[in-house]
Amino acid sequence: MKSSETTLGEERLRSIERKLVEIVANFGYLKGRSTKTSQVMAYIYIRQEVTQQQLRELTGYSLGTISAALQDLEALGVVSKHSSLGSRSYIYRLAGPLSQVLSQSMTGFQEYLTQINDFLKEIEVKLDNPSLSKKQGYSHLKSFLDEMNVLIPAYRHILQKFQATRLDSSHKQAGATGDN
Amino acid sequence: MTISQSTRFDPEIRRIEQEIVGFFAEKASEYTGRHPIVSTIMAYFYIRRSLTQQDLKNLTGFSAGAISKAVRQLVDINMITREVIPGTHMHIYRMETLPFRSPSYFLQTTQALEKRRKELKEMKETLDAYSEDMRCLEGYQRVYGVVTQLLGLIISVPRFMALIEEELNAFLKQGSN
Repeated sequence: MKSSETTLGEERLRSIERKLVEIVANFGYLKGRSTKTSQVMAYIYIRQEVTQQQLRELTGYSLGTISAALQDLEALGVVSKHSSLGSRSYIYRLAGPLSQVLSQSMTGFQEYLTQINDFLKEIEVKLDNPSLSKKQGYSHLKSFLDEMNVLIPAYRHILQKFQATRLDSSHKQAGATGDN
Repeated sequence: MTISQSTRFDPEIRRIEQEIVGFFAEKASEYTGRHPIVSTIMAYFYIRRSLTQQDLKNLTGFSAGAISKAVRQLVDINMITREVIPGTHMHIYRMETLPFRSPSYFLQTTQALEKRRKELKEMKETLDAYSEDMRCLEGYQRVYGVVTQLLGLIISVPRFMALIEEELNAFLKQGSN
């Protein structure tokens, strides 16, 4: 009796975990990540620590697929690799607490924006050639650039504002600790 | 048919376009983890705005399967829309606004998020209701922690995105005055 109850509880918990993986993986899919990378990320987030072999058992993907997904996630800075004592296999974890991983994507976005801005300025110079303005497709490129020229300063303004708020609140926190 | 005409850009313009697409394909993948095929196709939509799967095949050289998968994903995340071309069985895909213009596109629709919130809430209720049976099981605390954390996020992230969108609109309005 007792053992069958335990099995039921276990089954219930596993089924909740599977559903949870599906939800978290779907967030990755919404970001435009591949289904496989999103699933690997979901298991790392939910299990906290996993090896490639465990990921293979959990997802059913090949080790090659898993290793490629892990490399992508490491390059993004959301997952980190650790060696484990007494074992040759690595352990994978989130690169920090979730809040840190999320705010890192904000810093990443700021960097991304700067790179877009610099790159589009170069394109603008190339396009600023009277011989091109009558050519097929010119207006498409031009309207994209014009729109981005409005949006990039808007984002810069917003990011600055949010950073100021964050700095402000961390100063306040530091101040409060100082008082104690 | 006028469809393939949309893919015909002057060669010099086309080279610049390829440079732009190449940049976004690489950088968007690097910074957001987006799949490079998805990033490439998105970048073509930034510039061309409406395209068929055949257009995308001509432009990118990707396989029909890869393109069909990527456009499905982009439709799923509300990045582009899909319509039937009258009198044909083909679809035309459109990007109405640049994703940068409306950051909340990230969040799909509020309905989908609401569905997720309900699912998570039910999970939490199950975990609470059967906590006697499950509490000692390996992973219970961990799963419980994740459910609680996600419930918090699913409420705060849309608020944060709405705030960004509000700021964006205010800034753009100010600029146009």
